[in-house]
Amino acid sequence: MSNQAPSQTERPGALTGLRVLDLSGDLGNYCGKLFADMGADVILIEPPSGSELRFEPPFIGNMPALENSLSFAYHNTSKRGVTLDLDTATGQAMFKELAARAEVIIETSKPGTMARRGLCAESIHRLYPQIVYTSITPFGSTGPYAHYEADDITALAMGGLLYLGGYADTAPIRVYGKQAILCANMFASVATMLAVLEAEAGGLGQHVDVSMQEAVSMALETSVQYLDLEGLVRKRHAGEQRFAGTGVYPCLDGQIYLMAGGVGANKFWERTVQWFNDEQMPGTEAFQGDSWKHIEYLRSDEAKAIFEKVFVPWSRTKTKGYLYHEGQRRKIPIAPISETSDLLSSRQLAFRRYFVEVLRNGHSLLMPGAPYKLDRTPWRIQRPAPLLGQHNTEVYGEIGISLDELTRLFSRRII
Amino acid sequence: MAILNGLRITDFCWIGAGAYATKILADFGADVIKIENTERIDSLRMAAPYKDGKPGINRSGYFADRNSSKRSLTLDMKHPRSRELVLDLIRQSDIVANNFTPGVMERFGLSYSEVRAVKPDIIYLSMSMQGAQGPERDYSGYGASMVALTGLQHLSGLPERDGAGPGTNYPDHVPNPCHATFAILAAIRHRRRTGEGQWIDLAQIEPTIALLGPTVLDLTVNDRRHERQGNAHGYAAPHGVYRCEGDDRWIAISVKTDEQWRGLQCALGSPTWAADQQWADARTRGEHASELNRLIEGETTRWKAETLMEACQTESVPAGVVQTSADVVNTDPQLAWRKHWIRLDHPEMGDSLYSAPPFRYSRTPVELRAPAPLLGQHTREICQTLLGLSDSEIDALVADKVLC
Repeated sequence: MSNQAPSQTERPGALTGLRVLDLSGDLGNYCGKLFADMGADVILIEPPSGSELRFEPPFIGNMPALENSLSFAYHNTSKRGVTLDLDTATGQAMFKELAARAEVIIETSKPGTMARRGLCAESIHRLYPQIVYTSITPFGSTGPYAHYEADDITALAMGGLLYLGGYADTAPIRVYGKQAILCANMFASVATMLAVLEAEAGGLGQHVDVSMQEAVSMALETSVQYLDLEGLVRKRHAGEQRFAGTGVYPCLDGQIYLMAGGVGANKFWERTVQWFNDEQMPGTEAFQGDSWKHIEYLRSDEAKAIFEKVFVPWSRTKTKGYLYHEGQRRKIPIAPISETSDLLSSRQLAFRRYFVEVLRNGHSLLMPGAPYKLDRTPWRIQRPAPLLGQHNTEVYGEIGISLDELTRLFSRRII
Repeated sequence: MAILNGLRITDFCWIGAGAYATKILADFGADVIKIENTERIDSLRMAAPYKDGKPGINRSGYFADRNSSKRSLTLDMKHPRSRELVLDLIRQSDIVANNFTPGVMERFGLSYSEVRAVKPDIIYLSMSMQGAQGPERDYSGYGASMVALTGLQHLSGLPERDGAGPGTNYPDHVPNPCHATFAILAAIRHRRRTGEGQWIDLAQIEPTIALLGPTVLDLTVNDRRHERQGNAHGYAAPHGVYRCEGDDRWIAISVKTDEQWRGLQCALGSPTWAADQQWADARTRGEHASELNRLIEGETTRWKAETLMEACQTESVPAGVVQTSADVVNTDPQLAWRKHWIRLDHPEMGDSLYSAPPFRYSRTPVELRAPAPLLGQHTREICQTLLGLSDSEIDALVADKVLC
């Protein structure tokens, strides 16, 4: 990788020596990526026609093709890839051979599918009790909704997060970017890793049953506590100032998020008023007086209206960059409302070499890199996402399948 | 036995994301000792909601939710004698965690190198907003700041309105806790195998940006900027949230295939407008999505959301009630089946609601070990059992305002 210091690439990742069979689609590919970028040997097992993410936009050059999905390319970095038809007896037998040398299985098929294939957690554990077998499903493996269909927006709905999103005067509006699916992936990685630690210590794996709905419900903030403790149902309130001085405000070239009042933030309010005075902002005398030191007043419509009337005419003359850097210099938690392009020009992310370039299939792909920096076992993209069946020869060779046999399997469309 | 039994964490995390990460470790058996200060309390202790609506440092549901299973030790880190006590604790710890801006741990004399000097195999987690190095390392923020900085605020919402964001401090609740916990667990594995500890530096904006990979790639590879699109979907229609019978009741429906479209027609009782052949074509459905949404909402408003969900699911159409907190807690049969909601008896808040981690194991129980601690609840017991102090020594430290 172009953005990795050479000394770091020599160090093995924290999950070196861990072999993971990733049978998953969308609900588990990011989980597998977290393992793979941390050094595990993750083998992506796709049906011969390719995994579902290969068919998902965006595509390189907007050209839909098996190797062009950027979603696939991102969520499958560092993995090796094989094809295998798990709905055939031969494919099922080959999977068991692969499982004999694996520590982890991640699968996201509908509840019951792996059982029909004779490959459910119980069957696998009878053969290989050491395996951590993770199933990621919309609602969990069992229960009244286990058979329900779901995708991102319906899981956000059922998990309770969608109700909190959007404006008070519109329908609830979902958070951008498949966050329900990603919540399932993220909690699956934690759940699986906990089970791996236990299995490595005690020799026994187990079935890990992850529910996307339940994972989403972890993001409800104070919503269930409001219900339980104060009997209130929290609603959506996008676009409203939470307190005078806390909210999204316009500026010359976009918007900023200012947090001058709020969670334990009295000192921010004083610094903010000092800043306004130093800038000789017209009308700041309105912020004199003790009432502004009380959160109850900051929450009032009157305070919010006064704040907007004074601040916004001034903020509209400043760039989000100026407001961000000057406010932060004064230790006020202010942030720009970034667009994606702002991330690419962020000097901080550039300093941290956050974005990494991955060469895949003749294309240079600049993508988000390490979500954490481990100084002894660096995060690292081991290889680009696999082409369809790219590692068939290598991986099946490791379980003793000859090239002749592979040819026969290929002709029968098993691989 | 809990998976992380025997592991100890000296935990300086406060407020949102850090506390949630160490909570996961605590729930799975780690002894998480939360270092608190009565003079400068974790501001989440003073964040609503409160038991019976009455504010109090031991009454916040926001705090309780993300500090289950931990112990609380109150100590004034600015007192010159505190450092030795903490170092003694760290000698008996496996992990030191903090989510301060860079410099705070250094001021305590507890930088990674100083901590490593007394505990060479320590796993040291820093999770500031921007990371330990760089021109903006000193910049600080909260969950909402990260929603803004990462682009989620801008990208979520209606195209004709300001960005709406996720409606919560989302990075605090899932992306940062999960990435931090995963990194710690991986570091634990490495230490078991090699005896080597390490420093984990997590910049809290970075995991959330990592979730936006395809959006970043569409820009860097295709030069395409993504904009807000409400509940619409890039290539599927109908896809959205539709009003149902009742006050603020809604259903989310997602149709990605022709088969699902036929299923939705059946579920809605085959309205005559839907039989129009133009809607059989996915492209027409996409191009005229807003008209289609209006027609569908004309139907859904006559339905109870729960009944329509069942009707859709019978036809294998992804549909889900837009559930409120009351729905998920009181009526959802699936979350009840999974025993997601746990009630614990908190010493001041009494019987109160917590959520289980969102996964189940076939062999290991998934449960919370204890409600959130009172401020300083375990100071004395930790001083006695781990620091080997006598009652009179502890009293003297209290009198000197070292322990507080």
